[in-house]
Amino acid sequence: MRKPDGKIVLLGDMNVGKTSLLQRYMERRFPDTVSTVGGAFYLKQWRSFNISIWDTAGREQFHGLGSMYCRGAAAIILTYDVNNPQSLFELEDRFLGLTETANNDCLFAIVGNKVDLTTERGPEGGEKDQASGKTGSCVSSKVPKQVHPEDAMALYKKILKYKMLDEREMPGAEQMCFETSAKTGHNVDLLFETLFDLVVPMITRQKAEESSPIVDITICKAPKQTRSGCCA
Amino acid sequence: MSGNVVPSPCSTTCLCGFLDPPFKLRLQTLHLQKVVTANLKIESLNWGAFQQEHFMPDYAVDMMNIKAFTLVSAVERELLMGDRDHISIECVECCGRNLYVGTNDCFIYHFLLEEKAMPTGTATFIATKQLHRHLGFKKPVNELCAASALNRLLVLCDNSITLVNMLNLEPVPSGARIKGATTFAVNENPVNGDPFCVEVCIISVKRRTVQMFLVYEDRVQIVKEVSTTEQPLAVAVDGYFLCLALTTQYIILNYSTGFSQDLFPYCSEEKPPIVKRIGRQEFLLAGPGGLGMFATVAGISQRAPVHWSENVIGAAVCFPYVIALDDEFITVHSMLDQQQKQTLPFKEGHILQDFEGRVIVATSKGVYILVPLPLEKQIQDLLANRRVEEALVLAKGARRNIPKEKFQVMYRRILQQAGFIQFAQLQFLEAKELFRSSQLDVRELISLYPFLLPTSSSFTRSHPPLHEYADLNQLTQGDQEKMAKCKRFLMSYLNEIRSTEVANGYKEDIDTALLKLYAEADHDSLLDLLVTENSCLLTDSAAWLEKHKKYFALGLLYHYNKQDASAVQLWVNIVNGDIQDSTRSDLYEYIVDFLTYCLDQELVWTHADWLLQKSQEVGVQVFTKRPLDEQQQTSFNPDDIISCLKKYPKALVKYLEHLVIDRRLQKEEYHTHLALLYLEEVLRQRAPTGGKDVEATETQAKLRRLLQKSDLYRVHLLKEKIQGAGLPMESAILHGKLGEHEKALHILVHEMGDFSAAEDYCLWSSEGQDAACRQRLFHTLLAMYLRAGPSAHDLTVAAVDLLNHHAREFDATQVLQLLPDTWSVQLLCPFLTGAMRDSIHARRTTQVALGLAKSENLIYMYDKMKLKGSAIWLSEKKLCQLCQNPFGEPVFVRYPNGGLVHTHCAASRHTNPSSPSPGTRT
Repeated sequence: MRKPDGKIVLLGDMNVGKTSLLQRYMERRFPDTVSTVGGAFYLKQWRSFNISIWDTAGREQFHGLGSMYCRGAAAIILTYDVNNPQSLFELEDRFLGLTETANNDCLFAIVGNKVDLTTERGPEGGEKDQASGKTGSCVSSKVPKQVHPEDAMALYKKILKYKMLDEREMPGAEQMCFETSAKTGHNVDLLFETLFDLVVPMITRQKAEESSPIVDITICKAPKQTRSGCCA
Repeated sequence: MSGNVVPSPCSTTCLCGFLDPPFKLRLQTLHLQKVVTANLKIESLNWGAFQQEHFMPDYAVDMMNIKAFTLVSAVERELLMGDRDHISIECVECCGRNLYVGTNDCFIYHFLLEEKAMPTGTATFIATKQLHRHLGFKKPVNELCAASALNRLLVLCDNSITLVNMLNLEPVPSGARIKGATTFAVNENPVNGDPFCVEVCIISVKRRTVQMFLVYEDRVQIVKEVSTTEQPLAVAVDGYFLCLALTTQYIILNYSTGFSQDLFPYCSEEKPPIVKRIGRQEFLLAGPGGLGMFATVAGISQRAPVHWSENVIGAAVCFPYVIALDDEFITVHSMLDQQQKQTLPFKEGHILQDFEGRVIVATSKGVYILVPLPLEKQIQDLLANRRVEEALVLAKGARRNIPKEKFQVMYRRILQQAGFIQFAQLQFLEAKELFRSSQLDVRELISLYPFLLPTSSSFTRSHPPLHEYADLNQLTQGDQEKMAKCKRFLMSYLNEIRSTEVANGYKEDIDTALLKLYAEADHDSLLDLLVTENSCLLTDSAAWLEKHKKYFALGLLYHYNKQDASAVQLWVNIVNGDIQDSTRSDLYEYIVDFLTYCLDQELVWTHADWLLQKSQEVGVQVFTKRPLDEQQQTSFNPDDIISCLKKYPKALVKYLEHLVIDRRLQKEEYHTHLALLYLEEVLRQRAPTGGKDVEATETQAKLRRLLQKSDLYRVHLLKEKIQGAGLPMESAILHGKLGEHEKALHILVHEMGDFSAAEDYCLWSSEGQDAACRQRLFHTLLAMYLRAGPSAHDLTVAAVDLLNHHAREFDATQVLQLLPDTWSVQLLCPFLTGAMRDSIHARRTTQVALGLAKSENLIYMYDKMKLKGSAIWLSEKKLCQLCQNPFGEPVFVRYPNGGLVHTHCAASRHTNPSSPSPGTRT
């Protein structure tokens, strides 16, 4: 098995389309998916690096596994359904806590999926939505386009604050908040490839740090000891 | 054939495909219980045929199991307990051929396992009991673990680990033991380098404590004690890392540093935890929701989880499978694609463990072994069920378990088989990629298509066969559309590979097959194939082309095989309409072109008459357009051709033109012949109208041009022929050829009144001759104009024009004397200016030439002087060579040999002074 150089994890409530996003990107198709059990992952070759992308199970039952999947992640894709405001709140409530185990400089992307289901688009529709959004944030999810990019960007900024990350050093909210459709493929490539391009320099930096002389010595010492023990 | 057995699993499995995974498994569990017996029967049937009959959809295929393991009995119940029902198996250990069983009545049994291969390929095991020993307690034997390097068996009984001899099961005399252990695990990746020592981790009876021990042959030594946040329940060890199942979660604990890392939460009250080391630094854990989770010592998951059942009891790993045991089944899951691959019904199992690759399951009454089927067999089974992806994943996964050479051969074959499966499903892109990467002998593919391989081909399909199809008819079941698709695929595939190295060795087979496909499909590339380098086999291809009435192509094939005569004959037959082939509408021209470049004279002669009969003008091209270099080597004799062309006057004219004009053959006969033919034609054309006003026809122009340009024809003969034919221009030319310019000009001026023709005459007639000759002609013409006197006004005008237009052709002084005095200077202004200018120009150029010549002369003189020697010094010592007296004056004579004499001596001596021989003198 090829050892991945970096990891990206998809998190989000059940039924927001994590598996579909990943399949759309990796296999260029939009098949019917069943609820993910446990998790699955793909290896993607990007430049000279192997990046593993983990698809996690959104169901509450598997929630406990999230921390482990996130351990050592270079980037985390927080996914919600633009037609379901609750799915955005869940990101903050349930899923953000799982990311504690990720790398310190872990990137976050916030992705609103299923834009193909929204009926209203354009500036006019946007205003109308905003009005209805204020009153009906807890109303049934069937009202079209309930979550706006601004909400996602607000969450993004909040995350940076929680993580005590410097907003000026991290990519901007405009760059890291996406609205996608796994069904039509809208923005899907952009999402993943933006992340890959951001993750690759992190991997390179990490590798350089790992191979720095200080770490080398400690690594070298351990086998020496066992060898001498073996000969004695 | 299997109709009455098969539908039940089929319909149930189909149903499963639609349901969510958690339900899927349960449902499968249910139906499998009932179907197991039916399943056994089906296994021996042909799954391929079964699928075709029932058109099983893909998702149903995915659900089908493969057979990765067979379950065989190892220790029968009778061997252990006979009829004592209260005795049950508590634990099992297997080390090499030694099998140990611990029971609830505190006995350890030792068996020797003997593996026997059955003719069917599966193994059976016979266990022979060696001995059994009671440990002396009234407690069950909880766990057994062999340390073969120490020849010790670690026995956990009554919370204490004792060491007994592996062979006689006697406790060590020292009585060394580890007390207070609820469970233990041996470190298979030890950190201490001593080979005669094993590292054991125990979960202590003390609350929330684990301890590390070193166990030697007859002593034990505690190394470390670590306390945990919660009570540990299960442990596995790798290096310094302990993987622990605590009450509510799994953790990784580095006992050396004390650093601990949470993996994931888990409720041990609901289900017993499973912690299993599966390889270097990696563990398999029972996770929530029936998941088998993988975790490394770094606390990271590097494999996707497998999905086993909710109430799993035990797990083992036998690459590439994870095996899980629950109350009723043993399930097999692939670590490569996470899918469940096999389900074996197994009731009341409570132990599942792998020992160095051997997987053992046990109920409380008997011990069984899960024998893995050879990977190759598993892959073949998958392929037989058209599960290409899985087969390839498994094959790739098996790479590290199989020797390299063997693997490569096997893998190539699998790729090829997979290719044929994709091919049969018309997945041509995938098939092509598989064929390409496996370097398939392309004849395997060609041989699927009836009649495509040449009859002479020595090919036989590989054995065992790569696929199950006799031919394309069977594969497509006669579906013409599918058949056409397959053929199109083969066409493009063969075309792609025919020039690559894959084709080496069987180019004939490939090209012949391609030709057949093209011919059958009426494909344009057929002709391209035949006119470029190819290896089509003649007899096979010819028969096929004939069958498909591709006669033109057949001709090309003959030509490629150096049978031009057959080729041309075939094409002639097409043109004649004897056989039908509309490939080329310009086939006649094609044949002409073909024969033009054909080196075989015989063949050209054979068809010459036919060609000329069809079209004299075009047909004659076989003689006129032949490449020149060829003509020099094995040229046709022009006389032969001319005699052949006698019957075809138009062709003959063309040919003679070719000889005279194009090839400039300087042979009187051809020139005369051509001139006569032209003349005949001109006369023939004039005959009906008879009028003089007819404009010069094309032929007439040709005739004139020939008469003017050529000097070879027989002038007198032509003059005779032309006499009285009313062709003044032509007879003028002929006069000119005889040097009778006066007559010629007379005809032009006086008979025809064509002054410009007269001027032209002067020009062409003097072409290639000196200026004087031309001047003479112009003067003759001028004289002719002037002779008529001023009354003939038009001639006067002509004279003036002539002078003004051709001033340079005249000698001005002569002209001025000839001109009547009445003519004004104005009238002749252009002439005079021109003449003046010419004269001055001539003078100046002459002067320049003179000057140049002079200076050139001077240069030569200078050179000569330089070459003629140096200065001569006269002194009193120099004597005249003749009189031997000194020179009195600075005057002397020097001979070419350098001798100096007095002038008077030289005058008096007329002989050459060589006689006095200056050499001897000086």
